[in-house]
Amino acid sequence: MSEPEETGGTARRAFLRGALGAGVAGVAATGIALHGRGTAAAAPADQPAVPFHGVHQAGITTPAPPHAVHVSFDVLAANRAELSDLFHTLTERARFLTAGGTPPDPGISAPPTDSGVLGPTVPADRLTVTVGVGASLFDDRYGLKARKPAGLTSMVTFANDHLDPAESHGDLSLQLCADNRDTVLHALRDLARHTRGAMQVRWRYEGFSSPPRPAGTPRNLMGFKDGTSNLDVNDSALMDKMVWLQDKTDQPWTAGGSYQVVRRIRMLVEFWDRVSINEQENMFGRRRDTGAPLDGNQETDVPNFAADPIGSAIPLTSHIRRANPRTPQSDASRILRRPYNYDRGVDDVGNLDMGLIFVCYQQDLLRQFETVQRRLADEPLVDYIQPVGGGYFLILPGVQDAGDYLGRGLLA
Amino acid sequence: MPPTVRSRLAGALPSCALACALVLSGCAGHDSQSEALTVTVSRGNCGTGWRTPHSGAQTIQVSNVGTVTTEVDLIDPATGGVYAEVEALAPNTTRPMQLTLGRASYAFRCLAEDTDAVTGPTIQINDGPPPPAAAVLPITNQDLTGAVAQYHGYVATGLGTLATNVAALVQTLRGGDQAASRSAWLTAHLAYERLGAAYDTFGDFADKIDGMPDGLPGGVRDADFTGLRRIEYGLWHGQSPASLVPVGSQLATDVAGLRADFPKERTDPNDLPLRAHEIMENALQFELTGQADQGSGTGLATVGANLDGTQAVLKALTPLMSKRYVGWPQVGTWITRTRAVVATAHRPDGTWIAPSALDPQTRKRLDASVGQLVEVLAPIAAIGDVRRTS
Repeated sequence: MSEPEETGGTARRAFLRGALGAGVAGVAATGIALHGRGTAAAAPADQPAVPFHGVHQAGITTPAPPHAVHVSFDVLAANRAELSDLFHTLTERARFLTAGGTPPDPGISAPPTDSGVLGPTVPADRLTVTVGVGASLFDDRYGLKARKPAGLTSMVTFANDHLDPAESHGDLSLQLCADNRDTVLHALRDLARHTRGAMQVRWRYEGFSSPPRPAGTPRNLMGFKDGTSNLDVNDSALMDKMVWLQDKTDQPWTAGGSYQVVRRIRMLVEFWDRVSINEQENMFGRRRDTGAPLDGNQETDVPNFAADPIGSAIPLTSHIRRANPRTPQSDASRILRRPYNYDRGVDDVGNLDMGLIFVCYQQDLLRQFETVQRRLADEPLVDYIQPVGGGYFLILPGVQDAGDYLGRGLLA
Repeated sequence: MPPTVRSRLAGALPSCALACALVLSGCAGHDSQSEALTVTVSRGNCGTGWRTPHSGAQTIQVSNVGTVTTEVDLIDPATGGVYAEVEALAPNTTRPMQLTLGRASYAFRCLAEDTDAVTGPTIQINDGPPPPAAAVLPITNQDLTGAVAQYHGYVATGLGTLATNVAALVQTLRGGDQAASRSAWLTAHLAYERLGAAYDTFGDFADKIDGMPDGLPGGVRDADFTGLRRIEYGLWHGQSPASLVPVGSQLATDVAGLRADFPKERTDPNDLPLRAHEIMENALQFELTGQADQGSGTGLATVGANLDGTQAVLKALTPLMSKRYVGWPQVGTWITRTRAVVATAHRPDGTWIAPSALDPQTRKRLDASVGQLVEVLAPIAAIGDVRRTS
């Protein structure tokens, strides 16, 4: 072999793997290089793992562990073959990371294959890796135009949004959730390390969910319980109706997938803290202390809007009433929320930058999220919040087994 | 370019006057095919107890029960290629060797300080698939001699070019023409950056010739801020070329000093494989971020020159690396891609778009290319780490 030549081409399946894949497995171009990697030893049985294989990707209807990172990437793969490489690599790394195990020792052939952040044996730690694609991936770069579902658009700018273009949209989304923050960051480092040439981070949100205070649904950083009324993920018929894409769509390959909305919603917490409790509660429509609807006594009480047509107990403009009017007409617009709180420093005027990483899943963006969002336009709460970025993504169908990979239907 | 000296050679090891004894105890991994096994080593022996290994994932606990720090390699006895190593295993310590064994021959090789290598009995594994990764032939000081000499020659020639370009820069500064001075400065600066790989062999000269104001109490006004970066600062901050002549003269003196000194300097053979990725690691950290920019916005020209320097290192290492590093062809691919992005920043009039001024898509392509390039360069340093074999 000669010295490295400057060349425009690169071996299929090999371009991402030179350092990290081939160096360990020694079969750069065969496509099996990474299948066995990181499986030198299985994770201890007491480390809870969320199954990676399935009809649907994990991280949507699986329980939400307390730590999350949502990242949007710009895809830079030079061609469709490299895009396929990217999805194979993501699949293989996700398969290992979510199962846990002992990363292989590369001997003298390369630096360590793992960052070591989680110790010599990587625990599963209930890690989920959930991958989606944005509308922009279906432009003319990879010949995917004919594969684009009509329902996948770029995120709409709503009336009360203050979106930063650099913090919006993206070709590919990654949601990583786990029981511990180091696990999430370890996974992000691993995935980025294996895909540097094929994609680059566009924006990144880190979220956490609070423990119950003192009980029930976790609170957001406005002090209110957030997610009390949510779709029941254990009702599989309901999930098929509201969350999962079915095969009778314009793009049958998307069956088993879902639409994801991620939005960073800044909360103007200093301003909020100067608002009286009655005004706060009227804006949400719930008691701050118990989470009960304003016409009820307990968090679990179901608000009865029909009995309160003029909003004397729960104002007509309140968040819960606008978001879900609980009418036969509004039923189909319900969404599966999976939110996280965020905290990221200080802004230019000395206020704390914190708020909500709003994440929801649905079968139809227009019928569900956008319909809800339009009902919420100009609700009183908008003075205290600012959506600043995010995007819409199509969560790919699940990886069925060890021979399957993310995006198989997309690239088939 | 800032010095980031990394020493990979351990210090002197204690001599092995007494018997050296190692116990290698191999525990089955999580592969049910594997059995627990114990390997003992005593003076003149290395791994005699390792009798019934099977293929599959293994964690072999390597214990040094002797009195002398010892390197233990698991090798292919036919070629001397290394499957796994435990470096500098101190007495009374145990370290794991994790690997997946395959249908192949294996042996342990023990290298105690001041003692000839001892290779244990050959063990044949007859089940399972071949090893998932080929054994890598270690590289010795001797192996690197030719590469170091070749690279030394490259630097010596480059220093001559640098001296010529610096003389021209001083002359141009005297003439007082700002545009001409900026152009002459860039030529001289790139001549220096092309040497990149050698920065830590330049010692104090590196700071004198190309030091940044960072870390100086007075910053850009510090008397110790001198050299090419100081001239850049002046030329892009309204200082007249003529006023920079003294800095230029000092620079010429420092370059002459380096040229006189360099032939006497010994290049640590270990440095060469390290430079293979460190030049571009530095380019990423200081040029892509704009940290090193003193106003010229020519960071991407520097990246291009650093690629030249990287390729000089790679050229010298080619005979050693092309057979040892399975990802070697990737290196050329990503150098090509990086150069293509860099080229888009070079305007027809010869000036450069600063990294921060690139359009977002080009910027992402640059980050992706350089990011992947340093990933594929990194194994060269691991493979090229100088090792004993006898």
